[in-house]
Amino acid sequence: MREAAANPWARLGAVAVAFAVLPFLMPGGSLELNPVQWHRWPLHAGFIDLATTVLVFALFALGFNLLFGHTGELSFGHAMFFALGAYATALYTKGFDVMLWGLHLQHDAGTNALVALVLAVGIAALWGFGLARLIVPRSSGIYYSMITMAFAQVIYFITFHWSDLTGGEDGIQAISRPSLPGLPADWLADPSGTHFFIFAAAVTFVAVVAYSWILYSPFGTVLHAIRENKQRSRFIGYDVDKFRVNAFVISTIFPAVGGWLWVYFQQSINPDAGSIDYSGRVVMMSLLGGIGSFVGPMLGSFVYWDLQNSVSQVTKYWPAAIGAVFVLFVLIAPSGIVGAFDDLRRYGAAEALRRWVSPRERLKTDLSEELPESGPH
Amino acid sequence: MLHQLSDQFFNGITLGMLYILVALGLNIILGLMGVINFSHGSFFMLGAYVAYSLAPHVGFWPSILLAALIIGLFGMLFESVLIRPLYRRLPEYTLLLTFGTALIFQEFVRRVWGDDAVRYPALPDYLSGSVTFGSYQFPVYKDVFLVAITVVILAVVWLLINRTNIGVIIRAGTRDAEMVKILGINMPLMFTLVFGIGSFMAGLAGALAAPIYAIIPNLASQWIILTFVIVIVGGIGSFWGAVVGGLIIGVLSSLMELVFPPAVDVTGFIIMGVILLVRPRGLFGVEGLFE
Repeated sequence: MREAAANPWARLGAVAVAFAVLPFLMPGGSLELNPVQWHRWPLHAGFIDLATTVLVFALFALGFNLLFGHTGELSFGHAMFFALGAYATALYTKGFDVMLWGLHLQHDAGTNALVALVLAVGIAALWGFGLARLIVPRSSGIYYSMITMAFAQVIYFITFHWSDLTGGEDGIQAISRPSLPGLPADWLADPSGTHFFIFAAAVTFVAVVAYSWILYSPFGTVLHAIRENKQRSRFIGYDVDKFRVNAFVISTIFPAVGGWLWVYFQQSINPDAGSIDYSGRVVMMSLLGGIGSFVGPMLGSFVYWDLQNSVSQVTKYWPAAIGAVFVLFVLIAPSGIVGAFDDLRRYGAAEALRRWVSPRERLKTDLSEELPESGPH
Repeated sequence: MLHQLSDQFFNGITLGMLYILVALGLNIILGLMGVINFSHGSFFMLGAYVAYSLAPHVGFWPSILLAALIIGLFGMLFESVLIRPLYRRLPEYTLLLTFGTALIFQEFVRRVWGDDAVRYPALPDYLSGSVTFGSYQFPVYKDVFLVAITVVILAVVWLLINRTNIGVIIRAGTRDAEMVKILGINMPLMFTLVFGIGSFMAGLAGALAAPIYAIIPNLASQWIILTFVIVIVGGIGSFWGAVVGGLIIGVLSSLMELVFPPAVDVTGFIIMGVILLVRPRGLFGVEGLFE
């Protein structure tokens, strides 16, 4: 919709710089509510851990945005791929020994992070492929959103109820971090969190490069065409459903890698990772930052965690505050922070403000100008 | 074994009745307005909490009716303030917005009624006993009262849709809202009204569920996804779809308790998967609606 591929190198450079300064931008406190200690070096584990969280969810949001932002399909269940990646990694690392209908499934603990990554991505993409083949030809629009939401719930209930394998509600704990080739065995386990942040930043950056490559390839352009007008894309001769399936499968890879990172980072996992709560979180992040924009979802992850971390220190009812901010964005600035800045740059402050509050003009900032088929026009 | 089977079957019927009320409310809104209300589950939950709070003061019957009415009116307010600005946008934005409001409702409930489950005060005597039929026992509230009241509500809604002027407008609006508007019908008013009816049904189901299920703040998210599944199984926008879908999922997931208890929660989703394979529009769905 916006930003042509002006200069991908400049954009990637900007992302790299943003990752490098990210820990300095995180506010005091942390998920564990540690006090701020700016003077400490290396950075205090509190906010460097929060910065790592931002990166993991930025990765997750990239996958979601490839679908919603660039293909125009709202998946409300992408947490299932995050959970699949996470559980694949956790089970590979910890090993398991279960009986399933007379079959004895057994695996000894593994240590190779690369094998875990391949498993995480493989399982998520395989499930994503099967699911996409089932739902893509049969649904679109809100129907698609409802179905993805429902199927995510299947993964959630499996991780919740299959306690022998997944540890049920408590999940899996004490998962050790892997060792990286050429570095000391416990390098990643560095208690300050700095090493893990560097690792996460490197992984996320590679993913961003891959994402940029996909987005600005001919494939990405076809996705944009599908987003703007499915029927026209079909008439031009593209097999629209095939592209939608492929986009879906690719979009599962990013959350799966995110889940892989998340398990090593948290060293534990529980069914919440696949819940509607997590799916919704990534939807909110992407919209806050700006769907359809390249940096939007990453910016959204940063804003979301900043907001959650600040508000949760004031009230335990913080989700209501996030919900309210989100509702305001949907109503007034559906193209998110990036879109709002775009409007400011394009129209100047007064005109941009008028556009945000006027319902008629708001149409133009929408994801697509296609109108709903029913409802008053 | 037979007793167990009948117990589970009737548990499923009870659950099915509530599913029908919630899903039908959602489906009427979806059918006419083409918007999906994620906060519909929150309305169900709020109905339960409001009935729970009112019951000690006004008694059983008024608490149920007042709760449903309050939620219905609240739904109309909700529609005119928050949903109306979104009609000119893609329907996805309504889903997004109502997801945000569902978060707010959940925290509101936690703030007002606390995190722990609350228990509905005792039912009136004539509803708390059970009917004996041979060696079988049927709790009056679950197996008789709930079924009867659901059937009455269904009949009223059916008559409203099929035998009144408002119903004609609703059915015509489902086909082509623009055309109905051109014919001089005040569509925004109809939308608010229909949203109110749908919310009323969610609130009523919540109030009716209050005496038999634990009332907890995550009731909303548990129910909304199942409601979506029922709507998908039955067919978007279809009256009989919601009825049959609600019954099938209520009964089969209850019976799953006897076959393979860990799979109870996923029964509905398995049914949905099968339905998608063989009838992508749902059992009673219409081709081409909302695509």
